[in-house]
Order: sequence, then structure tokens, then C-alpha cells
Amino acid sequence: MEAIYSLPFFVLEVPHLRLKKPAFIKAPSAMVTFGLILASYFLVTGGIIYDVIVEPPSIGSTTDEFGHSKPVAFMQYRVNGQYIMEGLVSSFLFVLGGAGFIILERSNISGLTRFNRIMLFSFGFFCIIVSFFACRVFMSIKLPGYLR
Amino acid sequence: MVTSAAIYHVLHAINVTIEIRNVCVFLAPLFSSLTTIVTYLLTKELKDSGAGLISAIMIAIVPGYISRSVAGSYDNEGIAIFCMLLTYYLWIKSIKTGSLFWSTLCALAYFYMVSSWGGYVFLINLIPLHVLALMFTGRFSHRVYVSYCTVYCLGTILSMQISFVGFQPVQSSEHMAAFGAFGLCQVHAFVDYLRSKLTDKQFQLLFKSLAITVGVVTVVVGGALTAMDKISPWTGRFYSLLDPSYAKNNIPIIASVSEHQPTTWSSFYFDFQLLVFMFPVGLYFCFSNLSDANIFIILYGVTSIYFSGVMVRLMLVLAPVMCIMSAIGISGILGVYMKNIEFGDSKAKKRPDKKIDTSYPVKSEIATGIVVMMTILLLTYTFHCTWVTSEAYSSPSIVLAASQQDGSRIIFDDFREAYYWLRQNTPEDAKVMSWWDYGYQITAMANRTILVDNNTWNNTHISRVGQAMSSPEDKAYEIMRELDVGYVLVIFGGLTGYASDDINKFLWMVRIGGSTEKGQHIKEADYFTPQGEFRVDREGSPVLLNCLMYKLCYYRFGEVYTEQGKPGGYDRVRNAEIGNKDFELDVLEEAYTTEHWIVRIYKVKDLSNRGV
Repeated sequence: MEAIYSLPFFVLEVPHLRLKKPAFIKAPSAMVTFGLILASYFLVTGGIIYDVIVEPPSIGSTTDEFGHSKPVAFMQYRVNGQYIMEGLVSSFLFVLGGAGFIILERSNISGLTRFNRIMLFSFGFFCIIVSFFACRVFMSIKLPGYLR
Repeated sequence: MVTSAAIYHVLHAINVTIEIRNVCVFLAPLFSSLTTIVTYLLTKELKDSGAGLISAIMIAIVPGYISRSVAGSYDNEGIAIFCMLLTYYLWIKSIKTGSLFWSTLCALAYFYMVSSWGGYVFLINLIPLHVLALMFTGRFSHRVYVSYCTVYCLGTILSMQISFVGFQPVQSSEHMAAFGAFGLCQVHAFVDYLRSKLTDKQFQLLFKSLAITVGVVTVVVGGALTAMDKISPWTGRFYSLLDPSYAKNNIPIIASVSEHQPTTWSSFYFDFQLLVFMFPVGLYFCFSNLSDANIFIILYGVTSIYFSGVMVRLMLVLAPVMCIMSAIGISGILGVYMKNIEFGDSKAKKRPDKKIDTSYPVKSEIATGIVVMMTILLLTYTFHCTWVTSEAYSSPSIVLAASQQDGSRIIFDDFREAYYWLRQNTPEDAKVMSWWDYGYQITAMANRTILVDNNTWNNTHISRVGQAMSSPEDKAYEIMRELDVGYVLVIFGGLTGYASDDINKFLWMVRIGGSTEKGQHIKEADYFTPQGEFRVDREGSPVLLNCLMYKLCYYRFGEVYTEQGKPGGYDRVRNAEIGNKDFELDVLEEAYTTEHWIVRIYKVKDLSNRGV
């Protein structure tokens, strides 16, 4: 069997290659992957696919009784339509709320100074409360009659 | 359908005689109750029973799932989600135990899933993706090997018993990932076995040569088979998920369905509220404690987020994993902070030697605050879900209701009025032409033959109907004579302000009409003004103002006064006075218009007696 395998090598010469995998290429760590997924979550829940397909304007506009055009931030009366800005702002709030909870979870560890701990807690609470109530307000602007 | 029949026969066998119609109506709620139980079991496997209970409670009321599982909605998704979660639960069990018993059960659950919904393609790609992820992170073990081989072999053979699937698992690209992962499993297991038997140097040599050979052979054979068309490429339905603009540019009939539109942020918030905030938290907890099962749920979550962003209908697939992830997150947060709460009469306070941690002031109070905040958030979730379900997902779509300025409700029963008129006043063999949205309703309630219905499987035929609606009267008459049409039915919302009428859908009729060979002369741009707007008033395009759909909707509408201060023929949906008012119809005559002008039926006149 060895004789058959060695046949090509009477004609060909094996080159002396010294190839190494570069050291900086390695599989990403868990938290890096989590960061990437969070970024994609931000984009997708902001309705970026809707923006690419339907191409809505960034902000809507309406004219008031004097003929001046005023900007409109939220496309009203429809759950299935959005402007680009409102989508991205809302998905930013979603991620902020999630980040608030993650910060709260990290605030419980030992080894933090008193100042750092108070900062982390207040930032966590702030993130959660602001994002939750802001989203509620946005939804009621978008759908008048929300929760009535 | 088999499920309904089975339940019906079982009940009748024990002399509980429930009519088959009632079995079908209540099938969806029954299976969603079962889904709740399976979600509990699945989350229990992933984290613990506390998280399981939270996820079961959340999925019981989440609007994203309720929208497709109300009593009376007899569609595939009613049982498909139950089957999908059951398959996933059994898969996680078999990954954790590596036993043949659980793997076989998983294959049987997969067979049930294949028989219920075409979305099984998602499963047969997610499970191999999970196996590949486990290989990539170095977690491949004999348990994974046994589970995947059993599930793939048994599952594929069982799925090929369904006639709709047939030989697709070995021919179409959608199933190739599973096949590839299967092969890779064998190679990986063999390599592990050899590594334990050979010396290091021999192993390295063998491994490198084998890897290169297998890689080259796979690429060559795969490429040759694809080039020879033995392996079919991704079909339109699934390809449009990977490339969302494909449907918009090439297959207008898929792009026109409103459920297939991409999702906006408000759909996410409307259907999930609290869950959109807790989903990243659950992801974070999964990433902190990576295990075989957690990797699976992470993959499921990430792929579902992407697919639900592409198509609103797939929010349904996202709903269970949102609930599971949020439950893991909530359970994690509560688990961390409940430990910190000190109750008034606990013995821990009395320990004098316990040092007060100065770096952590008011520990118990903060923990109580967090628990109270979480409770309030969950309460708001409940209120939101019940409000959404009652407002958006509970009304029958055939009887419309609107509230007037003084708060009273006005009921529009025009659809049923028109269908019963058709039933009682037209010959039994009359054929009705309408857009495909109303096909099933006309067949069921008016009991008349229609040309196209919601099944939408004959694209050319639908395109012909679209051409008839978009052409001027004389051209449309030729098409109607060719298709032997007796009556034409259109939906018109201009009097009442009903926005889902045929004029708003008209552009889709133009697009679909122009998408086949016979409709090449129909171009969408002709129906817009030179500035590119779609207008029905005097500035509107003359092609639009003379087409059949326009004439049928606005016949005699010019004499109607709809709003104070506006001229006659003011369309309340488009907010414009119509351009073409006083016209007569040559080849059709008005047969019936309902009370609020929502449904309008026209009779197609016969050929004139003497040739002109």
C-alpha cells in the first residue's frame, strides 16, 4: 500500500512550508458575542428591515393652519407603520431598559466601593424607569386610545 | 385536520357527542393551553422550575401568540406552535441525557410538526445549527452524537411519509444543512475515536489528509449536483426570508399579503410590552452560564428575532422564545435579590458578630424596592395584554364596529348583507369575480362559485383578475367574457371611512396583474400622477380614472354628500373629491349596493342582441 501512495512523490517534490495560524484569530468570547447580538437586536427591533423595504421618511411632516410645515415624529393610528427615527429611538429604549436590569444584576457583587455601588444602582433604576415610561408614552402618542 | 378528526372520534367513542364544528373552533385554545404546559417544561430544563412557572404565565397571555390562537381561528399555527415547542423540549431532554428514548420521542414530535405546518423547515435548520454550534464551541459529546443521529434519521424518514414533503429532504437546499451536519457529526465522532487510539503524530497526519479529502469531495459533489439541478435551490417562500427585497421585486403576490410586511417597533412593543425589555436580560443570563441547552435557546432567540423582523406573521414564532428568555431574566434578577431581603423577625438580625457591609448600604431596602418594581412591571404587562387582546384580537372581522363622536357604537353588517343578497337573488351557477381576499367568505356564505380565493395557488389566474380590474371597461369585458363571469363584487370604503377597501389594495392588483405575460401592457407607473402620487381626484392619472375598479367603486358616488362642507363625491378614506364623477357603465349594471356602500355588486351584461 505504501508503494502506491509513494508513486506521485517520485515526480513531485513536497515543499517545506512553515504556515502557522496567526495568533490573533480566535473564537470570540461569550460576552463579545452577547454584545454583537445586542447590537443586532437594537437594529432589528428598530424596524430596520421595514425601513429598507418600505423606505419611509426619517420624520413625517404636516402643515398647520398657517401653511407652515411641522415635523411629525410618530406615524399615528397604525401599529404597522413607522418613521425611521421613531423606530431607532424606541429600540434604543428597549436596549437601555435591558441594560438597566443587567446593571442591577452586576451591582450585587462584592468588592465594589460604596460610591460605585450607589452609582450603579441609581443608574440601573434610572435606565429601567425612564425607558419603560417613555415607551408607554410613545405608544400612547402613536395609538391614541391606547389603554382606555 | 387529522387532530380534529381524532379528537372528534375519541370523544364520540366515549359517548361525549360534540359537533365537529365545535371541536374545530375550540382546537386552538386547547392546544395553546397545552403549549403553556410545554413551555413550563422547556424552561424548567433550561433554568429551574421558578423560571418555568414565569414563562408559562407569560405565554398564557402574550398577545403575539393569542392573536393566532383565538377560538375560531382554525389555522395551522394553532397546533404548530405546540408541536414545535414539544419537539424542542424533547430535543433538549435528549441532548442532556443522550438516551435513545428521548431522541425517538423527539423524532416522533418532529413528525407531528411536519404534518401540521410548512414552518418545520425552521426546526430542521435550527437543530443542525445547534449541533454545529456545539461542535464549534468544543461541547460535542457522545450524547449530542446519539441524539442528533437518531433525530435526523428517524425524523427524516418519518417526514418523507407526508406527501407534501415527499423527497424534498434529500433534494432541496432547505434540508441540506441537516444532511451536512449529519455527515459532519460522523466525521467528528470518528476523529474523536481515532484520537483516543492513535499516537499524536500519526493522528495529526491522518486528520489533515482526511479533512482535506472530505472537504474537496463535498465541495465538488455538492457543486456538481447543484449545477445539474438535482438539488433544487431555496424556494421563493423561504428565500424571501433570507433576502427580504426578493419578494418585493419578483413575486408581488407574496409581497402583497399584509402579514408578510416587515415589522415595525410598535408591533414588537404592542405584541410583547415588558418582554422586549427582558429579552436581553435573559440572553445575558444565558451567556453567563453557557451550557448545551442554553446555546440552543440563544440560537432560537437570535434567529427568531431576525425572522420576525422580516415578516410580521412570524412574530408568532418569536413569542415563545421571548417568554422563555424573559422568564429566565426575571427569575435571575429575582433570584439574586430575594436573598438580600431581611424580614422583620428573622434571626439573622440578631447576630452581633456579623459585620455590617459599609460598601452596601440599605441592602434589604434596595432588594425590596427591586422586587416591588418587578411586581409592578408584571402587573402592567397583564393590563397591557388584556387590553390588547380585547381591543385588537377579539373582534370578528366580518362585522365592523366603530364608535361615533358621542361614544355610541355603530355596527356595519354590510358584508353579510351582500353575501346573503347574492345567495338569494342570483342563479345557483352564477360566477362572482372579486379580489382573492373575499373568496372563502363568498364561497361559504353566498354559496356561489368564485374565480380566485385566499388559497392563492394559481398566480396566473389571479393576475388575470387583476388585469380585468385594472383595464378600461371594454378590455375588462373581454376578460370577463373569457372567464364567464356573471357578477362582480367590490369593496368600497369611501362613504364610511373603511380603509381596507379595494381602492387601497388597487396597486397590488396592478402589480400582480402586470406580473404575468398577458398583462405586460399594464404598468404601475401609468396609474400615478406625473409627480408620482396616487390620487383619485381631478389630478389623478387618466388611466386610473377610467379603469374598471375605479368605475365600479365610484359609480353614482358623485351624487352622495358624505361630509358637511365638502362637495358631493368626497372620498373619506383618500380625503379627496373624486375626479371622474358623472359616468355611465356600458357593459355592467349595478345589481346591489349595501346600506353603507361598503359592498357593491354589479351584473355583467350579456352581449348585445344585434352586432354593432
